[in-house]
Amino acid sequence: MAERKPKNIFVQGPVSPQKIADSIKKHSEQTNIGAHSIFLGQVRDDLIGEKKVSAIEYTSYEDMALEKMHEIRESIFAKYELTCMHVHHSLGIVKAGGISLFVFTSSAHRKAATAACSELVERIKSELPVWGKEIFEDESYQWKQNQ
Amino acid sequence: MQTKIILFGQIIDIAGQKELTLEDVLDTDELVMILHEKYPLLKNLEYRIAVNKDIILNNTSLDDQSTVALLPPFSGG
Repeated sequence: MAERKPKNIFVQGPVSPQKIADSIKKHSEQTNIGAHSIFLGQVRDDLIGEKKVSAIEYTSYEDMALEKMHEIRESIFAKYELTCMHVHHSLGIVKAGGISLFVFTSSAHRKAATAACSELVERIKSELPVWGKEIFEDESYQWKQNQ
Repeated sequence: MQTKIILFGQIIDIAGQKELTLEDVLDTDELVMILHEKYPLLKNLEYRIAVNKDIILNNTSLDDQSTVALLPPFSGG
């Protein structure tokens, strides 16, 4: 398998629905693909006490995150029969309802795409040095905790 | 010898800055001791330490080239 270079997964602000649509469209040329699996993480307006989350601000140790993501990417490609894999994660402010994580896997048959997508999401959440600050409507905040 | 320490997430709130430089710290155990004295709130936080972008599990010696990062629990996605 060809050596892959670390890719930048980060985008400023939310991932736009247009970017997701364009990404799907690009794959129509790869006719060996039989299945896509897509995960979209959306910012939820959690009610914490009396306060509602209006946005999440994401920060990262980017150099480390990109190295780690490269490692995860290689191990997922080694484990599953994938045609391709795309990951985009937001940095900065994403308002409630915005997409903050876009994971897209493609394969000839569905099982590899769905299993790889699910494992990628879990590994991204637990292994990438990224932090979310939940900002409330009154501009106070708390640090997000992943469940 | 100087060690650069970069901070993230709520650790920036605790320290009031994103970056620190400490003089003559030999290893990560010593570093943790100094930081806990300087910022007692750190003691109540579960965080991990990366030296040159690798998370360490044991005491690790530091040199002039070391960049130490303090990583609170990840919450991406």
